[in-house]
Amino acid sequence: MNTVNENESFLERHHYLLRRLHSLSGIVPIGTFLMIHLTTNSSIVWGLMDGKYPNMHGGAATYQHEVNFIHSLPLLLLIEIFGLWLPIAFHAGLGVVYALSGSNNVRRYKYQANWRYALQRLSGYIGVLFLFYHVATLRWGWTFLMPGNTKWDSEFAASTMALALRGETDGFTAVGMAVALFYMVGVSLLVFHMANGVWTAAITWGLTVTETAQKRWGYVCAGLGAGLMAAAWASVIGFATLDYDKAREAEEYIGGGHGSQILEAENESVRHSGAAGSEAVR
Amino acid sequence: MSGSDRQRVLVVGGGLAGLAATIRIAEAGIPVDLFSLVPVKRSHSVCAQGGINACNEVARQQGYSEYEHFDETVYGGDFLQHQPPVYEMAHWAPKVIDLLDRMGVPFNRTAEGQRQLRLFGGSLYKRTHFAGATTGQQLMYALDEQVRRYEAEGRVNKYEFWEFLRPVIDEDGRTQGIIAQDMRTMQIRGFRGDAVVMATGGCGLVFGKSTNSVMCTGAAAARCYKLGVQYGNPEFVQVHPTAIPGADKLRLMSESARGEGGRVWVPAKKNSSGQWEPHPNSGMDPRQVPQDERWYILEEKYPAYGNIVPRDIATREIFSACMDGFGVGGGNMVYLDLTHKSPEFLETRLGGIMEIYRKFVGEDPVEVPMKIFPGVHYSMGGLWTRYSADADYARVKGGSMAFDLDREWDPDERPACGLDPEATDNMMTNVDGLYAFGEVNYQYHGANRLGANALLSCIFDGLFCGQGVVKYVQGRSSSPAAEVSAAIFERGERDEEEIVRRLIDSSGGENAYDIGRELGEEMTAASTVVKSGGRLESALVRLGELRARYDKLSLADTGMWTNQNLSYSRAVGDMLLIADAVLRGGLNRKESRGSHYREDFPTRDDANYLKTTVATYNTGTGQADISLEDVEIGLVEPRLRTYGAVESGEKEEEKATAGASGA
Amino acid sequence: MASSNGTVQATTRTVRFRIERSDGPGRGTRWEIFDVPVASGGEGSGSANVISCLQWIAAHPVTVEGRETTPITFDCGCLEEVCGACTMVINGKVRQACSCLIDDYAPNEGDEITLEAMSKFPTVKDLFVDRTRLFNDLKRIKGWVPIDGSYNLGAGPRETPDTQQVRYKLSECMSCGCCLEACPQYTLEVEPSGKGFVGAAVISQARYFNEHGTGSTLKKDRLDVMSGVGGVSDCGNAQNCAKACPKEIPLTESIAAIGRSTTFHRIKQFFSGK
Repeated sequence: MNTVNENESFLERHHYLLRRLHSLSGIVPIGTFLMIHLTTNSSIVWGLMDGKYPNMHGGAATYQHEVNFIHSLPLLLLIEIFGLWLPIAFHAGLGVVYALSGSNNVRRYKYQANWRYALQRLSGYIGVLFLFYHVATLRWGWTFLMPGNTKWDSEFAASTMALALRGETDGFTAVGMAVALFYMVGVSLLVFHMANGVWTAAITWGLTVTETAQKRWGYVCAGLGAGLMAAAWASVIGFATLDYDKAREAEEYIGGGHGSQILEAENESVRHSGAAGSEAVR
Repeated sequence: MSGSDRQRVLVVGGGLAGLAATIRIAEAGIPVDLFSLVPVKRSHSVCAQGGINACNEVARQQGYSEYEHFDETVYGGDFLQHQPPVYEMAHWAPKVIDLLDRMGVPFNRTAEGQRQLRLFGGSLYKRTHFAGATTGQQLMYALDEQVRRYEAEGRVNKYEFWEFLRPVIDEDGRTQGIIAQDMRTMQIRGFRGDAVVMATGGCGLVFGKSTNSVMCTGAAAARCYKLGVQYGNPEFVQVHPTAIPGADKLRLMSESARGEGGRVWVPAKKNSSGQWEPHPNSGMDPRQVPQDERWYILEEKYPAYGNIVPRDIATREIFSACMDGFGVGGGNMVYLDLTHKSPEFLETRLGGIMEIYRKFVGEDPVEVPMKIFPGVHYSMGGLWTRYSADADYARVKGGSMAFDLDREWDPDERPACGLDPEATDNMMTNVDGLYAFGEVNYQYHGANRLGANALLSCIFDGLFCGQGVVKYVQGRSSSPAAEVSAAIFERGERDEEEIVRRLIDSSGGENAYDIGRELGEEMTAASTVVKSGGRLESALVRLGELRARYDKLSLADTGMWTNQNLSYSRAVGDMLLIADAVLRGGLNRKESRGSHYREDFPTRDDANYLKTTVATYNTGTGQADISLEDVEIGLVEPRLRTYGAVESGEKEEEKATAGASGA
Repeated sequence: MASSNGTVQATTRTVRFRIERSDGPGRGTRWEIFDVPVASGGEGSGSANVISCLQWIAAHPVTVEGRETTPITFDCGCLEEVCGACTMVINGKVRQACSCLIDDYAPNEGDEITLEAMSKFPTVKDLFVDRTRLFNDLKRIKGWVPIDGSYNLGAGPRETPDTQQVRYKLSECMSCGCCLEACPQYTLEVEPSGKGFVGAAVISQARYFNEHGTGSTLKKDRLDVMSGVGGVSDCGNAQNCAKACPKEIPLTESIAAIGRSTTFHRIKQFFSGK
């Protein structure tokens, strides 16, 4: 079996390795990043509750604080390319090849696991489109795809994000509404894709063998999915319903290179590990 | 040398016997072409449920032995079998089990990891090895896997979905190959073989509904019979006591259900004189029937063996209870009750049949007693075969050598009273080079087969007699079939094409499916549990009508691509021939023995009928000519066969009481 | 023998069969409709199933339009769900025809039952398909115990009752193909490539042989196949196999167990170079 056969394609020769790397890449780095990313983004909501930034939009302030931290990381572009974009391209590219090798039959076999099989592939297809849009518009600055040609600005992270989802500062443009909905669908599908993927990966790798173990692990994955789904929805809803002016105010207060005078006040009120990051930005 | 390089054996039938033969022959380095109507893994042997008998250490230490196994088999078969082959088979049984064990058969295990054993009909010792209640399926798969291995190594060629049409026999009476038809493309062609092994199973479909699979028409045997191969004991057809009736077939409820403690009863009430009378409300919920209104028909009459009397006896008791009006709800049904056993026990021991009952009847035998009735199951008769007895048989028979039963024989040193392992004619039909193994072989089971002996006889035939085939083929290496003129094959192909053409062109309006159904109904009514001269005569008349109608068939499908209509219609013609032999054999046998019960001759008549029926096809009359042949009974003297029935007044022999508790 | 003589009088109703027919490979398909009388309620006669209805049609091959046609070609054998032959798609789902009781599927007058051939295997004719690929795949995984010949060499390895129970369940696989028909990852190959996904049945058989003392001597070869093209990693975890299996074989457990074995196998291979 291991002898090199000239008639075998690259995919065939490294069939197993690629399959397993595909599975692995979904968890590390992609899934791990997704968890961090959604936790960060949902700070637009939980930042409101933690009362760290009284007298301003706490969500926008916390979020800006997090963004500042990320943008302070050295070699950010390289991390993004090798830690995210390439793994995602690999996972998505092979994923499409693998998905095309099957043909779903939920119409005939309406079992729950079979629905998840179909949805895993559908969520992969839509998810990759969504991710492309998401990265292209927000990271690569393809503003022509943005409602109202918004340009996302890391120094005004929350407010420009709100614009990106709405198309205008108050309410929604039609395109904005579509984008916001696309975000809701996109993140939901990706969260499902990850939770279900973690469940199937445990079978693929042979971690959960018995039906009981698979069921138990299923509960764990469902819990993980529910938590991430809450974070994902919180993020999208949080940004989409943001008070633009208040966010702007908070961002200016936190500063992404602006308003250095505020930093001292912040350092007093924030006992937060990210604080060092803010300083680095300054 | 060039000759032997091109030698090969053709095995027809891929059940246990055919696969075992294939393994043994291919292993010896002779290529095998294996023909089967179905992918061999789907052969009828998968339907066997209960187990496979063999002497084992536990039983041996309680007084059992290979000799006892032999004796039980002969007693169970009402002494109609030639004894040397049975003797050899019983002594080989432990080796067969070991081999199957090595092949990976998942036999049930004891806590210590030993093979688990169960009781079975006709024995008071636990000597039946089993894998749940699907033992046949498990053994089949183990052999199928070994054959697949040889197939992957290029030693075996499978011809699946090929139908055997006839053996090719040359002018000197030697088998040179077969003619077969691809049931997909309908191509008919000849195959050369230095020996041909028929392992084509029984003929249950002659009786319409039976426990057999749909391919068990007996057609392959009939096609040999038509060309001069003799047929032995056709009238001996086993009716299994416990089957569940269905619209398309009767589904077997294994004897292991009784071996594991299942009890046969009917609701009944005792009258003032202590006699059982039919229950006024026998259709009531069986769980509500009080203990003292349950008539355990077998336990009461056969205190020693109880529910595990041999099949012919259990069948007749159940049948007559129903005829006397004791059937559940007045119908043809009795209860087979396992509800006193724990669900876990039933699942590990009998899961397979529990599932069949649940699926096909819709009730759970764990909760409710099963409703069963006898059904045609196994053909003791089959192609007549010969054998060569081993050296000591003649001495023991002639009295010049003592066979001391009290001595504990080392199995390897026991007197050689079985088969000669050097002989090439063991289980060869009267046609040179044409063998019959397994159910299609009439040997081993006499007038009634004991449960769990069929799997054994099939595998034994394949392994032991397969060696003989190898020797036979080696013996003709200077004149291999490969060098025979093509003319006889071409003639065979032409004749078979002619048969096809006649069927396709025929337009008399008769339907083969109707004839098949009517044949089955008539055979079941006339020639199963209770027979009589008059009824058999009238069945022969009816058979004549059916044969006349058969000549006026019209096929609904006349195409030449995967025409099952043609295949079945052709088989019906062959079934009519088997039916004729069954009826004439039964009519000629004016006694009752084993499965053959004549109400006009209700007792056994050793003086006149301790003989094999040999049916020879008469090409002139198109009927069976019946003759009788002596049975080799040199080892065990025939004795009365009562199984300790209390009404018979006989004191059951020594062992009936001895082993009952300990086994 | 066991004929109907029940106390409850049987009544007859009509069941309509819609059957997808095909004259041969590549010859297209067409639907034919038959009305079949079915007896019900007669205790002791046994209830009708799809096979007995197909047998009735064989004896009366006339469609509802009154057109004479040919009997339906179909595969069947034991009729008690142990041989696996009569697998077909009934009312959209794959199963054995013999255990498909009409009283369950079509309890009322005029109820309809749809029959189609399995779609994942090449059709030979009508409902009759060619499942050779499945048997070839059993060769691919060396699905046998490599014994030293059939001569008497004593007993096989001992086995605990627990292992026996696990193996017994796996050994009940009758190669019917239900799990493959229901599997979204198993696709029709008109010409066998020898590289296609082997499917749950064969993966489970690989596990079966690996679990046996002597059978495990070929474990490495089997895991090479299982971790190659068409092996276990082609599974998409839809888990229809376990649902479709008529013998309730824990196929998803087998898939995971083989997944685990291949994981170790490949890691070991990576470091040992063998």
